[in-house]
Order: sequence, then structure tokens, then C-alpha cells
Amino acid sequence: MKRRHFLGAGLAVSFLGACSRLPVIPDRPAPDPRAAQSWIRYARGRYTLFVPRVEMGQNIATGLLQIACDELGIAPALLDVRLPSTRDIDTVKGTVGSDSMREFALPLAQACATLRDALAAGRHAGLLEARPIPMEQLRAFGPTRGTPVPPVHGREIVCGAPLYAADVCKPGMLFGRVLRAPASPELRSTLKKMREAAARADPALVAIVRGAQLQQGLSEGVGIVARTPGALDRIAATLAPEWSVDGSFEQAAVEGAIDIDARLRRGRLRHLISDDRIGDNAQWDIDLRLDIPSAAHAAIEPRAAVADWSPSAATLTMWVGSQDAFYQRDVVARRLGLAPELVLVHPCRVGGGFGGKTLSTVELEAAVLAHAVGATVKVQWTREQEFCFGFHRPPSSHRIRVRLKDGRVDQWWHAFASSHILFTNAALPAWMQRFTDLVGDAGVARGADMPYQVDARRIEFDLVRLPLLTGPWRGLGAGPNCLAVEMAFDAAARQSGTDALAFRLRHIRDPRLARVLRQAGVRSGWGMQPPHRAGYVTGRGVACGIYKAASYAAVVAEVTVDLASGAVRVTQLWCCHDCGMVINPDLVRAQCEGNLVWGLGMVLVEALGAAGGRIGASSFADSPIPRIDDVPPMQIDLIESAEAPSGAGETAMVAAGGAIANALAAATGLRAARLPVRRADVLRALAQAGRA
Amino acid sequence: MKILINGEPRAVASAWQGETLLACLRDHLGLMGTKFGCGVGLCGACTVLLDGTATRSCLIKVADLGTSAITTIEGIAAADRLHPLQQAWLDERVPQCGYCQSGQIMSALSLLRHCPLPSDAQIDAALAGNLCRCGTQQRIRLAVRRAAGQLGEP
Repeated sequence: MKRRHFLGAGLAVSFLGACSRLPVIPDRPAPDPRAAQSWIRYARGRYTLFVPRVEMGQNIATGLLQIACDELGIAPALLDVRLPSTRDIDTVKGTVGSDSMREFALPLAQACATLRDALAAGRHAGLLEARPIPMEQLRAFGPTRGTPVPPVHGREIVCGAPLYAADVCKPGMLFGRVLRAPASPELRSTLKKMREAAARADPALVAIVRGAQLQQGLSEGVGIVARTPGALDRIAATLAPEWSVDGSFEQAAVEGAIDIDARLRRGRLRHLISDDRIGDNAQWDIDLRLDIPSAAHAAIEPRAAVADWSPSAATLTMWVGSQDAFYQRDVVARRLGLAPELVLVHPCRVGGGFGGKTLSTVELEAAVLAHAVGATVKVQWTREQEFCFGFHRPPSSHRIRVRLKDGRVDQWWHAFASSHILFTNAALPAWMQRFTDLVGDAGVARGADMPYQVDARRIEFDLVRLPLLTGPWRGLGAGPNCLAVEMAFDAAARQSGTDALAFRLRHIRDPRLARVLRQAGVRSGWGMQPPHRAGYVTGRGVACGIYKAASYAAVVAEVTVDLASGAVRVTQLWCCHDCGMVINPDLVRAQCEGNLVWGLGMVLVEALGAAGGRIGASSFADSPIPRIDDVPPMQIDLIESAEAPSGAGETAMVAAGGAIANALAAATGLRAARLPVRRADVLRALAQAGRA
Repeated sequence: MKILINGEPRAVASAWQGETLLACLRDHLGLMGTKFGCGVGLCGACTVLLDGTATRSCLIKVADLGTSAITTIEGIAAADRLHPLQQAWLDERVPQCGYCQSGQIMSALSLLRHCPLPSDAQIDAALAGNLCRCGTQQRIRLAVRRAAGQLGEP
């Protein structure tokens, strides 16, 4: 989410300071040894690590604890781990983009080495200047690395100790909710009327709060504050607000807006990733359409924040479950007209982020309500609010055409349309977003610049502002784009009569990519026929890719399809992964497992459609995510590498969905044109193949 | 009014008696281990044991509890030792974000009480209503089996 290169730091400051309606641009200082000085401290025989990243399940606190222990040469018991407030450390950028190990491990190790050497020299007090020691001289990256460290918060999690924003409990704390029209925040909505007198008769009601500060997007908000959380439901029902909403839309309009074939009929698309000359008129060997719907982050923790406003001290203290505590501070300070130093933000452990907890939503609501009533207020979104007012992965529509020559892909044309991810409409007003259209949206493009060597490639896309809020979702564009690429490449392999793995290797120059692909083949016994079961067909598929030009993954999937019902089960997944030097293998494996389950969800489970001018889903019944009985055994292989550590949080997204979709194609012949895969489409494909 | 939680009678103030058990546990009694995830019984984050059986605490009102005994995640460890399920969860390094895990452990506890040596299929059936978004399902299966083995030892 590098927005600064578009606005420029200097311009952002002067021009945003002038008007509170403009969005706050997140501060993105590069982590360096100087910043790292504030991350590690020593006093009287004990060390404190102020973790400069948000802890949201990637367990970066555990990884950085290991770096610190390795470099300091101490046992973990000597080190206290703290999630620092906005006053404890220098400003750091938000926790996005799987960058934490790549960018923070080195400066942390440098700061720890500086501290270790100072202690050894007998110095026990004062501020040290961290030295930019090269990586090869640091113990944290040397052969002796790997101090066994207990998972940070592990014991608290299994014992149910308070860790998350909604677990904060203060004496006299109140509970808040902001009611809005049940409509997309992209539609202007205002309050028509509400039964205020009836609501005020409820003894649990503390306040009804109105004002422009509660507006989010084009959605007016009416705040209610109550003495118990359950009273919020009752008061909302009594208040029965009626709203005026400008306009509406249905799913067909969303699909029509991004329909790639309709756009291609109008000519070239606006943004070019690759612009080689290809022959437009001749026949194509492969011509695939793939539509991928919107999807929710569906973190099990709904967004939550606690805000405490002290009128006498004129300070606001907040506990948030956000991927960027400093951004929350700046947004809340701006909206409430406070100096940023009067806002103190404590980042709590986040109950799942996945790119979704990057904007200020529930945090602003809690701050405004606390400010209005002069007390501590907790706000946790309902699941319905999560679906209706959160932002989601944008839907996308793809057309891929391939021409083969001499057993290779000769010409490749990938055209797609999607909505904004980095310059999200959930954060930017429409006019500002139009500016960004000049530069494209690197988040939407991610993964489309496919890793295979072909003679000519045209890769182009359109950005479409949709009436739904869209934004970053694990892997950004890489999930959908790589899925489309891998399905088409697989179809090309089949068309050329070549093994899917060997066909890919023929087009790969990057040795790290070739290595994970070969290794996944070896581990999975690629080429063996899966065992046959009467009444079922089985198939295996492979996919691979590169994430952010730094991390590599290859996945093999095996699926079984019930011939009678068309039900698809993934029965085994193998993943080979290379993210450079592995600091903590178990944590990397966990990230691979998560990515595999997300790929499974993309292909077989998840969809979020529009209905009646909003996201149609209001519960997990309407928009399911994978369950334990969907998840097969997974085998993860990590490549040991001397390359600098890159990232693991999103890498296997490049291959997980593709391998599953390709396994389904191998089993049934179905090249799904829309996701998630429907049983009816499977049965139709089986019938065409004469197998049902 | 009093309710029996983790073997102790706990007083519930009148303002909280109309609340869900989940809200009462968390914001009145300060037992934060039980989580809010969806409010309609579809995610399992709020799972507690009601007389030994896994139950969604977001769906029960405090006033309807009667004399039922409630067990929460805070009540399953012995004074000086984690419950074998909790230990297995640490040994298998199950948690990623951790938010759903107390509900997972409580559902697993209910399963092991009724089915001491479950197969993977039985684990899947018992835990299918406990969602995890991070993708810890494989490790959950391993942890339940590990704990079942330990519980089965004399």
C-alpha cells in the first residue's frame, strides 16, 4: 500500500492539513537501525522487545523474539515481549504486504547486536546508536540461529486470557454501536426519522449521538451508547431508524460493470502491464473466460475498538485491533480535531487481519462516541456490519487467449477488469480515486505479470469503480490473477499434449521457481495415478508462481469428485515454498497452510454477492468459509536458502487455488468459468465427458 | 441471581440478567476467553460447556440458565497444570491469530468426553461448526488426537 509515491510526502502534508474531508495518507517510514533503537531495551538484567509489527496471527512477535534471542545470545525467559503503544516507539508503517521479516528482521538484529556489544563493553545505561552491521556478521542469520522460543501469547490463547481489543474492560465502561442504512457506504444515505422518545425510555440507554463525525463513506451514522452490549440490539430495534438511500444495485450490475468481454469489444483496456504485438485475428488455441466473485476477509474477530476520553486531561486513549496503530492515531486525531500527541493508541493482538483491518472504521466510531459521552466506550461490529460496511476483495473478470507453437506458448493475452485495491474506494473519495486511475493500481495488477517465458505477451486491465467497497485482501490481485493464469497455462499444457509440470518447466527461466516446482512434483509423486474409487473420479493438478518478485511456491492438489452429486473434495495438498532464509520454519509452514486453505476457499467455497444495494450476505450462512471437514491433509516443504528472508504470509496464494482448479479439470474436464465451482457445472462437464 | 461458572457460584446483577451468557461472561464477569464472532451460533467462537456439552453462549440468555453448570476456557486447567487439550494445542503450535481457539478447545473437550478416541472424521464432525479463518484445521486435528492419546493413558 505505497500511496506516498502518488501524492508525495511533502504534498501530502501541506495539502491534507488544510481540509479534514481529505483522507489521511498512512505514514510509511522505512525501518532502519535508527528506528530499531526504540524496539529493544535493557534494564537491570532484563530485556524488553517492543514488537514493531502488529501481531495478527502471522506470529511475527514470536519470529522477532527469536531474532532478538539469537542476536543477544540470551534465553527467551530473560526477555519481555510487549506490543508497543504509539508513544513507546517511533512511528512504523502498518503491518501489510508480508514485509515484516524482509524489512524488520535486519534492523532489529542490528539493534540487538549493538546492545549486546555495549553490555559486553560494560556499558549499562544510555541511548545507543544502532550500527548498520551487515547481515552476514549477525548471529540471527548465521548457522547457530534458531533459539527455541515459546509462541508469544500461546499460553494466554489456550487459557483464554484477555489479548484482543474487545477483551479490554474498564470500570464504568459503556457499549456503543453506530447504526447506518443497510446499504453500501458508496450510496448516499441519510436518516429520515427514528423513534427517539421511545428509545430514551429504555433505562439502559446512555446517549444517542449524531453528527458528521460519524459519517463513513456516504453513509450517515447514528450512534447509540448503552450500559450493556445486549441493550444495543433492543435500543436499535426500538429506535427503528428509517433511512433515505440514493439508488440501488444488484449483482447483475456489478458483473456487467466488469464484464471483460464487453470491455474488450470497446477496444484496448486502459492499463498495460505488457504490450507485445500479438495477432488479434487468427484462431486461438486456448480462449478462457473466468469470473471471480468478491470475497470477505471473514476474520473470526469482528472489528473492535475501545476508546476512553478523559475531558479533564483532554486525552483520548484507544485499544485497537488494527493493522496500523499510528494510522488510527492520525485519523482519529484529525477527525476529532485533536493534536496527534493527545491520542494514545494501544495495538492489541488482532483476531485475523488479512488486509481487512487497515482502515479506520470501528476505531473512529468508538472514538467519536467516547468523546461525545466523556467515558470509556467499547464498539465491536456485528457480523452483519462486517459484511455490509467492511470492504472486500474486488470481483474480477478475466479473458485469457493463448496461441501455441512447437509445443510452447507462443502468444499470451490476458485481459481483466476489477475494482481498486490500493487506491480503495473505502478510503478515497471518487474524485481522488479518478486521479489514481492515471497510475493504475499495483495491487490489482499483482501477479498478472506471469512468470513464464513466452514469445509475445499482452497483459492489460481496466479499473472499474464499483458501488461496493473493495480493498486489499490476502495477496491483493495475486490470488485471482495467478488463479486465472495457472488455469489457462494448464489448459495450454493439455492442449499441447504435454504433462502440466513438464510444460511449465519448459517456460521457466528462474531457477528458484523451477526448483519449488520440481520439488513439489517429487514430494507428491507427480505422475502417479490417484487410487480409483467406484462412483468417484479423481484428479491431480499443479500450479506455481512468484509473489512480489521475492517468494516462490508450487502446489499439487488431489481432488475427488462424486459422480452422482458433483460434490468436489480436496483430498491432499502438497506445497513447496521458498521465501529465502527461513528464520522460523514452523511459522512459515503455518502461513503456507493458511494460504492453502484460502486457495481452497476461493475455488470451492467463497462468494460475496450484491443484493438490494449492498452486500447480500449478513451471516456465515449466506457467505460460508472453509470448515475443518473441507480441509485435507497438507504437506509443506520449505527450501533452505541463503537468500535474504522475504515473506510467507501471502506467497502460496499464487498457486493454491490454481492447483485445486487444475485438479478438478483433470478429474472432470471442467475448466470453471465462474467461481466458486458449482455442482451443476461439475455435473454438466461430467455429462459432456460421458462420465456421469 | 447466581449462576454456576467453573464450579463457583457467581452473582449476576439485574441489569445483566437479560443479556446473553456470552455478554455476561465477558463484560460483566470479566471472563474474556469466550469470544464473540457472529452472534447467531454459526462460528463457534463463543463455545462453552453447559452441563458438559458444547453450547453456543451467544444463543442463551442468562435468565434461562437455571441450575446448569457452565464451564469456560478459564476453568479447564488444574491449578498448576494445563488441561491436556491446552497442552496439545501448544505442542502442535495450533494458534495463528488465536481468536477462535478457545471455542475450538471447548468443542474438542465436549467431543472427548463423549468420544474419548475420535477418528479424524469424528473430529471433523464435532468441530465443523467451529470456524477458523487462519487455516489451523490440520493442526487442530493433530492436537485433538494428541490430547486424546494422553487422556487415554492410565
